[in-house]
Amino acid sequence: MINSPSLKYSHNPKNTLKRGQHKFIAASLIPIVSLLIIFALVPIAMGLWLSLYNYNPLNVASPFVGFGNFKEMMTDTIFHKALFNTLIFVLISVPGNIIITLPVALAINAVSGKKLKDTFRTIFFLPTVTPIVAAALIWASIYDPSYGLLNMILSSFGINRIYWLSDPRTAMLSVIVVTLWQDMGYNIVIFLSGLESIPKMFYEAADLDGANRWTVFTKITLPLLSRTTLFIVVMTTISYFQVFTQVQIMTNGGPNYATQTLALSIYQNAFVYSRMGYASAMAVVLMVIILMVSLIQMRLMRNDWEY
Amino acid sequence: MGNTKSHKWNYYILITVLAVGSLLMLFPFVWMLLSAFKSSLEIIKVPPTFFPASPTLEGFKRVLFEAPFFRWLLNSVIVSVTVTFLVLFTSSLAGYVFAKFEFKFKQLIFILILTTMMVPFEVIMIPTYLIVSDMRMLNKLWALIVPSAVSAFGIFLCRQFIEGIPTDLIEAGRIDGCAEMSIFVNIIVPEITPVLSALGIFTFMGSWNNYLWPLIAINDLDKMTVPLALSFFSTQHGGEQNVIMAAATLIMLPVIVVFLLFQRQFIEGLTLTGIK
Repeated sequence: MINSPSLKYSHNPKNTLKRGQHKFIAASLIPIVSLLIIFALVPIAMGLWLSLYNYNPLNVASPFVGFGNFKEMMTDTIFHKALFNTLIFVLISVPGNIIITLPVALAINAVSGKKLKDTFRTIFFLPTVTPIVAAALIWASIYDPSYGLLNMILSSFGINRIYWLSDPRTAMLSVIVVTLWQDMGYNIVIFLSGLESIPKMFYEAADLDGANRWTVFTKITLPLLSRTTLFIVVMTTISYFQVFTQVQIMTNGGPNYATQTLALSIYQNAFVYSRMGYASAMAVVLMVIILMVSLIQMRLMRNDWEY
Repeated sequence: MGNTKSHKWNYYILITVLAVGSLLMLFPFVWMLLSAFKSSLEIIKVPPTFFPASPTLEGFKRVLFEAPFFRWLLNSVIVSVTVTFLVLFTSSLAGYVFAKFEFKFKQLIFILILTTMMVPFEVIMIPTYLIVSDMRMLNKLWALIVPSAVSAFGIFLCRQFIEGIPTDLIEAGRIDGCAEMSIFVNIIVPEITPVLSALGIFTFMGSWNNYLWPLIAINDLDKMTVPLALSFFSTQHGGEQNVIMAAATLIMLPVIVVFLLFQRQFIEGLTLTGIK
């Protein structure tokens, strides 16, 4: 890669330099941008395009159906369940996540010894580095009605056997618990770094004014943490809308579609039933929902906390 | 001074609550380990035992001898290491070009790259499957590597940090007669090592733990990566929780060791980049 431009340099320095730069730009960007076009831009365009077709890789013909796929969704009861369950999942898990992670981060932040603080942070972060597949299997074993840990503990309190994953009343809740256990560490660490970046002088001033803890929390900590909170809420919402792995492994959408989610429906339609056009249309719906919800969140939370 | 006393008590309560929380977080790991050491007979005893009555390596042996466990591990290592190096290289190179050079359509290309970040994977997974299938890459490890070789987020992240490097440094290199590529390698890359180590860690973790795309792209047992293999293995050994938990333990071990070794980089990287 190292040639010696010094010789040419003496003739026409500016031009040689520019030519060298153009070559460099072309040589580095063309392969990278090509890969992005093939594996990101083209798939996005194709995804939108496929949603208008009745595309099935096993059929010879794939007729154009316009918005037919979207119309079909309006009468598809499984899709309705998936949409409803996904919304419920997000509505419970995202606030649940924040309600646990913010106090835990505040508590860890209040620990005085550095070693102890780091130990707590490590422990709460540990589940996030475990593969979600493994987490789902461990929890499936904990939830097992006959041999599982949870019913074993409950039975010692005289509580009867609960079929955590096969009872429609508890299945979704069980999936949510696994998700929170596996995922909270990220937000705790991000909240902690947000808390550490708040200048100490604000707290000292509040202390001099004799402000109580709740006032300090609502008037100083929460407002100064608003950017971090907005980031966490938006990112968590986006990722929870796409919940797939733990559901596919623990319940596969059951019992009786009680844990069917949008991402699972998209996967099943595309790769189990080969209905790729219909699945693409569902994916477009999921994308629109995610974009809209993130925009609304950003709008609402900015107005709330601007100061 | 009664105030300090109540403060002290509050602090003890805080530590106790955190300790209980920590135990709850660790409990599933404990259950996994205890189950992994139970025998196939003990694991189906009702009521179940908590501690293994006579700890045995039966579960571990069956994972290691009845399944191509090391093949799966090797596949995961090949895929994750390759993807990580490719992403680090392409992200820093493209990030450099977008941060420090002027060329036609620069803004447009960059906006297109950013757009791809906002589209959920569910939208592109079906077309990507069709494209990968057309390229005859299905059911090969290439299918897990090539589509992940470039990361829009990585390019964006590197551009942000390279913009902060003074252009004088680059000009000085040019006056010294360095080729563009050697300016990139010798001047730019050393300046952004913290970003690259963060991006590297999270690319590696993302690739190592990825489930949905391998589920779509890989069929053969000996081409599977660890998470897919674990899921497949568990459906084959439905009732044998000790074997499944042994497999989960073996698969989790490398990730947890890596995490404990590079903990500081993990935490700093997370706060530096906000990657999830």
